[in-house]
Amino acid sequence: MMTRRLTLFAPEPYLPEEMGMITDKIKHQIRSIVGPENALDSDLDRFGYSYDSSYVPLRPENKPDLVVRPLTAREVSSVMALASEHEIPVTPRGAASGRTGGSIPLRGGISLCLDRMTRIVELDEGNMMVTAEAGVRTIDLYNHCAAKGLFFPPDPASWKFSTIGGNVAENAGGMRAVKYGVTSNYVMGLEVVLADGTILKTGGKALKNVTGYDLKSLFTGSEGTLGIITQALLRLIPMPKKRGTLQVMFGSLEEGCTTVHRMLQAAIVPAAAEIMDRFSLEAVAKYRGTSLDPTAQACLIMEIDGESDEALASQARQIQAVAEGCGALAFRVAQSQQESDELWAARRGLSSAVASLAPTRLGEDISVPRDAFPEVVRRIRVISEKYGLPIAVYGHAGDGNIHPSILCDLGNPEQEKRVHGAVDEIFAAALAVGGTLSGEHGIGITKQPYITQALGDAGIKTLIAVKKALDPKGILNPGKIW
Amino acid sequence: MHENLNEPLLRSARKAVAPCDRCGSCLTVCPLFGARDVEASSARGKNAITRALADGVIEPGPDVLKAVNFCLLCRACVDNCPSKVQTDEAMVDVRQYLWEKTGGMNAKYRAVGGFLKNNALVKLAAQSLALCRKFGLNRVFPYGMAPDEYTRAHFLAAFAGPAALGQPAPRTDIDVRASSRVAYFHGCGMRMMFPEAASETLEILRGTTRPVLKDNLCCGLPHLAHGLRGDFLALARKNIALYDDADIVVSDCASCGGTLKHMAAWFADDPLWRDRATAFSRKVMDLTEYLVKVGYRPRLKVDALLTYHDPCHLVRGQGIRSEPRDLLRATGRFVEMRDPDTCCGGAGSFHMDYPAVAAKILGKKRRNIEESGAKVVVTGCPGCLIQLNKAAKAGKGRFKAMHISQVI
Repeated sequence: MMTRRLTLFAPEPYLPEEMGMITDKIKHQIRSIVGPENALDSDLDRFGYSYDSSYVPLRPENKPDLVVRPLTAREVSSVMALASEHEIPVTPRGAASGRTGGSIPLRGGISLCLDRMTRIVELDEGNMMVTAEAGVRTIDLYNHCAAKGLFFPPDPASWKFSTIGGNVAENAGGMRAVKYGVTSNYVMGLEVVLADGTILKTGGKALKNVTGYDLKSLFTGSEGTLGIITQALLRLIPMPKKRGTLQVMFGSLEEGCTTVHRMLQAAIVPAAAEIMDRFSLEAVAKYRGTSLDPTAQACLIMEIDGESDEALASQARQIQAVAEGCGALAFRVAQSQQESDELWAARRGLSSAVASLAPTRLGEDISVPRDAFPEVVRRIRVISEKYGLPIAVYGHAGDGNIHPSILCDLGNPEQEKRVHGAVDEIFAAALAVGGTLSGEHGIGITKQPYITQALGDAGIKTLIAVKKALDPKGILNPGKIW
Repeated sequence: MHENLNEPLLRSARKAVAPCDRCGSCLTVCPLFGARDVEASSARGKNAITRALADGVIEPGPDVLKAVNFCLLCRACVDNCPSKVQTDEAMVDVRQYLWEKTGGMNAKYRAVGGFLKNNALVKLAAQSLALCRKFGLNRVFPYGMAPDEYTRAHFLAAFAGPAALGQPAPRTDIDVRASSRVAYFHGCGMRMMFPEAASETLEILRGTTRPVLKDNLCCGLPHLAHGLRGDFLALARKNIALYDDADIVVSDCASCGGTLKHMAAWFADDPLWRDRATAFSRKVMDLTEYLVKVGYRPRLKVDALLTYHDPCHLVRGQGIRSEPRDLLRATGRFVEMRDPDTCCGGAGSFHMDYPAVAAKILGKKRRNIEESGAKVVVTGCPGCLIQLNKAAKAGKGRFKAMHISQVI
């Protein structure tokens, strides 16, 4: 079924035929646009912009020819006009915290690094909206708004260092998606520099807006292939006054999932509902040197929020009733901020705890209909057995976004082969239960081989049609998505 | 592409950075990335360079050496890393590898290392500084390497008001066991640059025990950090032997203490020295750690607003955070500055190699000190004290910089 080799290890992506080179003259022109210190071309600097947080190996051929760090949309526009004229590939980049190779330049050219664009342009408290440049770190935006009692909910795991531009370009999710949705649910408008350098402003502060195509949604999640997002207008909501944390242990993963479903059906919506399987729990226990109930097969950690302590207590009681009805082994409500932090530390430290068990942790990101969660986990168990590879399963139970982590040693060629097989089958399992390849990491390079299967020929053709309309020369982030 | 993993140093460095999944957590805490925000400055960038060097993706050369030398070894990244990647250890290995591979490129460090190996020269330098200070000549030295010393006498004159003077300093009530032989480790920085602070350390120690003085050699950190591992090991062996008969070795220098405490790791493969090094490392204590343990009470209560700068090699290198603060709270009024544990930019010879970047990092530190309102910033490392003295000078007298033994 999956015949193509994983691009994760040997990319063979779609690329335009011939692309332009950056001559000394063009370099000089770019330096005069952004300033000489913001156009880097030393070998080591180019190397520094050749990787991201995916497991795409370091390779000399992924080095850009020039790293360009503009400060304003106008500078981006001038750089794009030049790139377009000379057909130079441009790969936009924020903090390079992406997990699928999206910001890795595959055809040299320009790595357009937006991390100097760190201005929060406006916080409109009346309309509850914030305008920020692409390079603003998510945590800085969150804190800026929180200081005025406003809440920007999307919280990808990388939120302390990832940038808003990257979050929008990848349509990042996070733990709070179950109640508050993902980045796209908050994008009201965008400033985008198009492939030819045109500055497009789309969307706005009007909450209802059906004037023309919904372009902001088109650019959100476009992974830098349709335009350079330079500024985002984001919707905010009032900050919940109180937050609480619950931990529930179950004798089976199914019971944990059922608990979440029944809660949601009864309109008890947690701000986050994270589930971890037995393997994950053992990894955490080992990593932190704690003990683990031998009968516990799964653990659910939830954040609840509301107006008052009473509201939280009432929610907790309701959740306890549902959980116990589903066979929960133990139910714990954090009594202090410290206890709450400890409970969350187990979840936040999970990737590292799992990673410490093997030379390589290959974390995937599939997303399935909520009720297919237990089924896809059962299938992953079978895959784990079949390929003889331990796979930790954890994820966002509230929204069906699962992160299976394969423990392996990619330095071992025999294992590498088995890993390919297991990853292939995990994606096949996700698609078979009506799910999709990625919940929040995007496609980038690493998931390309599966995209046709996920979207179908018509789907891919439509993507390509859109791409050609907006980027006829194919200079924007070439070689990504399909 | 060819792999360089037959090189043991690279293999060791590659192993140290293997858990790095390039997430970017370190970008927000690396002081150098804060001052010069290109990828190669960050810990993630350096881990990637290490990996690429080992895997044959990049070739060793002067630019690579420059990149790995551009690290404070402050461990802020390690502390913040979800996988606790030991970037500093990898940097020390890669520097050593590059030095062995490319020889003369580190000539400057070899000269400094040779100087510090020679105890007679170190002592001579200390005497010269004293002379320079006497004639005010120290101000002509570059990089603040011959700092003014704000002495305890100056401090008491400024902050020990009549009320404080009226009370005799409470004597320490520690029950010092006769069996504990407490020895002092006299580091080069304290010896050459802050002799007054070093003598205050001894004064404090004499209040608690009968400190044993040894003619010790440099702890070897400057050598270790710059690819002179052979020199480091030779110095270490001599120092280990020198303190064989001590039960406790007290250091008033964060960098010396951190190095001495981690000595065992460097002799793990040496059957002759492994156990002796382990035993030695176990008896090393930072001055503040020792004093809190023995229940020391400051000599005098002063009416000064004090703040504390955490030396990297103390807070992250030795996990000592509360002891100096407890001692300062017992001495005067204590106020915490913002980001007290962020590197001051000193980092051994870093501030001389990269004066502009170090000045930028120090500028942030100075603002944080000034905003705290403290009159004195206290620390426990001569390297930091050089920097903080520069900050104090730039702050035009708004605050003074002192070693903790001059204050408590």
